[in-house]
Amino acid sequence: MTVKKKKIIALNRVEGDLEIHIELEGQVVSEARSVGTMYRGFENIMVGRAPLDGLVITPRICGICSTAHLYAAVKALDMICGVHVPDNARRIRNVAQMVEQLQNDMRHAFVLFMPDLANPAYREQPFFDEAVARYRPLAGRTTVESIRQTRDILGIIAMLGGQWPHSSFMVPGGVVSMPSPAEIAQCRYLLKNFRDWYEGRVLGCRLERWLDIGSRAELMAWLEASHSHRDSEVGFFIRCCETLGLDGIGRGCGNFISFGRLDTPENSDATPEGGRTYYSPAGFYADSQVTPLQQEEIREDLSHAWFQDRGGPAHPFEGDTIPYATGSEGEKYSWAKAPRYKHRPAETGPLAEMLVSANPLFRDLVEGRGASVFVRQLARMTRGAVLIPVLERYLREMTGDRGAFYQEPARIEEGQGAGLIEAPRGALGHWVQVRKSRIVRYQIITPTAWNGSPRDAHSRRGPWEEALVGTPVRSPDHPVEVYHVVRSFDPCLVCTVHTADVRKTIQL
Amino acid sequence: MPMNLLWIHCGGCGGDTWSLFNAFSPPIDALFKALNITLLWHPSISDTDISERQRLFDELLQGDRPLDILCVEGSIIRGPRGTGLFDTVMGKPKKDLVASLSRRAAYILAVGTCASFGGIGAGDEIEATGMQFLKWDKGGFLGADFTSRGGLPVINLPGCPCHYDVISGVLSALVLGSPIDLTEYNSPAEWYNVMVHQGCTRNEYHEYRVEDWHFGGKGCLFFHLGCHGPLAHGPCNKLLWHRRSSKTRVGVPCFGCTRPDFPQPYPFFETRNIEGIPIELPEGINRAHYMAYKGMAAAAAPPRLKTRKTGI
Repeated sequence: MTVKKKKIIALNRVEGDLEIHIELEGQVVSEARSVGTMYRGFENIMVGRAPLDGLVITPRICGICSTAHLYAAVKALDMICGVHVPDNARRIRNVAQMVEQLQNDMRHAFVLFMPDLANPAYREQPFFDEAVARYRPLAGRTTVESIRQTRDILGIIAMLGGQWPHSSFMVPGGVVSMPSPAEIAQCRYLLKNFRDWYEGRVLGCRLERWLDIGSRAELMAWLEASHSHRDSEVGFFIRCCETLGLDGIGRGCGNFISFGRLDTPENSDATPEGGRTYYSPAGFYADSQVTPLQQEEIREDLSHAWFQDRGGPAHPFEGDTIPYATGSEGEKYSWAKAPRYKHRPAETGPLAEMLVSANPLFRDLVEGRGASVFVRQLARMTRGAVLIPVLERYLREMTGDRGAFYQEPARIEEGQGAGLIEAPRGALGHWVQVRKSRIVRYQIITPTAWNGSPRDAHSRRGPWEEALVGTPVRSPDHPVEVYHVVRSFDPCLVCTVHTADVRKTIQL
Repeated sequence: MPMNLLWIHCGGCGGDTWSLFNAFSPPIDALFKALNITLLWHPSISDTDISERQRLFDELLQGDRPLDILCVEGSIIRGPRGTGLFDTVMGKPKKDLVASLSRRAAYILAVGTCASFGGIGAGDEIEATGMQFLKWDKGGFLGADFTSRGGLPVINLPGCPCHYDVISGVLSALVLGSPIDLTEYNSPAEWYNVMVHQGCTRNEYHEYRVEDWHFGGKGCLFFHLGCHGPLAHGPCNKLLWHRRSSKTRVGVPCFGCTRPDFPQPYPFFETRNIEGIPIELPEGINRAHYMAYKGMAAAAAPPRLKTRKTGI
């Protein structure tokens, strides 16, 4: 007979706190609950305020992706006032957003995720000493380099927006700043420095070489092709994953959602083929098929969240956030709501973005062995290869084009708008309704709300709950496999605004 | 003896931590070493397993291990109805943990506006408060008379986020034993006895009352666009962000994020005014004098400012 044990794991080194309640059968996770432990009340703070106040208050939801919240907030307002945003404003918004993503991806990898490879549970592993040398907190070689490189690249946002985090330089109709050609040149220089480091240390090859890889077989050939590939961060990560079998754990729910990347300028080399609005489209990926996103199909389910449920799952334009603290009463166990797309849970983040945009490597990896800790984290570490060329183009275009950065919009009195963007951690949406120049409803669904959602009324687990079930845990004192699975989603618990922190718990 | 430091994250966004990651001199990876500070635990940095962390907290709370510096980031969430259940750790209100640690710490830093004054959620349903202030009022979570073991009140380092140089500057002062001159809101005068306005590159526009009505201009943002630069204390334009710029320099009005009432209850991006003159004037100014001065200043404005033919 297998002994069932319960364990609560409190996880740090996620953005915010997280508790996950795990049940183990023998040495395998048999059940998981993701518990949001904090309610911050952002949505209700917005009600009754002036329409533009969201630009100041909502970035404060998250200290590591505040530009993403600003972008979502301003897009909702752009929609309400129907303003045409000039090309240069779009470029500046996109540049800032992508720079924040580069920062996030590298800090996540080398400050939050990779240090688990130096966990004492791996003391006997061949890679252990090397992992310690690379990722020891505030001291490992790569960790220190990544701290300084991400700081420097954020200098671009400081130039365009005045500070990072928490600026409000995007306004309906564009941006407030008018960077000079000299400042744009500085931005290009900062990006060049970052690219050199990213190619040299993280990829171990040129971006173009990395983007040539189109399948698992080509990935393995790339790994063996040179010492610099094997020794790079990506190479080291692949080798550790092979040793630990990390491409066999953390599969998840199999559905992926992406809100698509950024509004492209109308006259830009970075406009994708076919002239779509997004160069990475908004869509839903399941069963090897992508379908275009229909935002009206999103619902939030409150059956397992500590909120009053008034009539079942609701679209954000109809939803409420009424906290209902019951302790452990009944089925409710989290301060995170459960977003669903066409009634299904969905994973979001860089991997979802790669799948929806038909990236051949990630399609091949997922359609072969399925999603995993390995594939999810690989997508995040290598997203920079996709972003940097686009960033370079936007900055180059602004050097010559001195067109408008701002178009005065109509005053916002009535209406509703949805600002959907692809934030560092995935699909982020702000849904805003305004009556008589005051906000009457403000609902936010963050990427972590998708990934870390609790169960819904049909008892379907959220994506990382699902990903945890079946995970082997070799040493309950160092449940490092659980860390890998949850951190591969890059949890941001301060963002789960209705929003919760999730403090993760394993009870033994 | 090296000092030790514990960093707790409460009702906040983590932005003060990520601000500190942007420090240049010293960068965060060198900061603690340079100051000979032992970092006991930080939620975004430490690689300790849960069992180790629990042992550390037990030792600190039982007094088996002295705690020198406690950094609190984020507000203390007391809701609903004073229970603290909107923010729990292992099923217990986090506010209780903060209270216990506060009794042990030699020095306490409230890092950011939320920890200092309550910030986001102060006065709202989550019943957020700062460590020793609730908005303008002394008291807050620990009470007006509280002093930490080292004999100081909670040192407030407001800002949303707090500037990285302020955090490392205060830590240096504590380690070196330098006196810290505090303002009436218990913030170090070095960085909070300057106005955000000081050092803004739009100052000449401000001087001659050449004011902008719309975004994207070069003029001053104080009269019409809600800028709090002359009203808020803080080092943005003294220290600059990333050693490069500030919100007001690029054309974003200052939102007064260091102030005890941040976020203000009235709309951002507009200036409350009487007869076109802002209701709230710089501290200690006589309204009639100010109106006369601004009228004359506007009349004296040189054409190069009126036509915005300057750099900023």
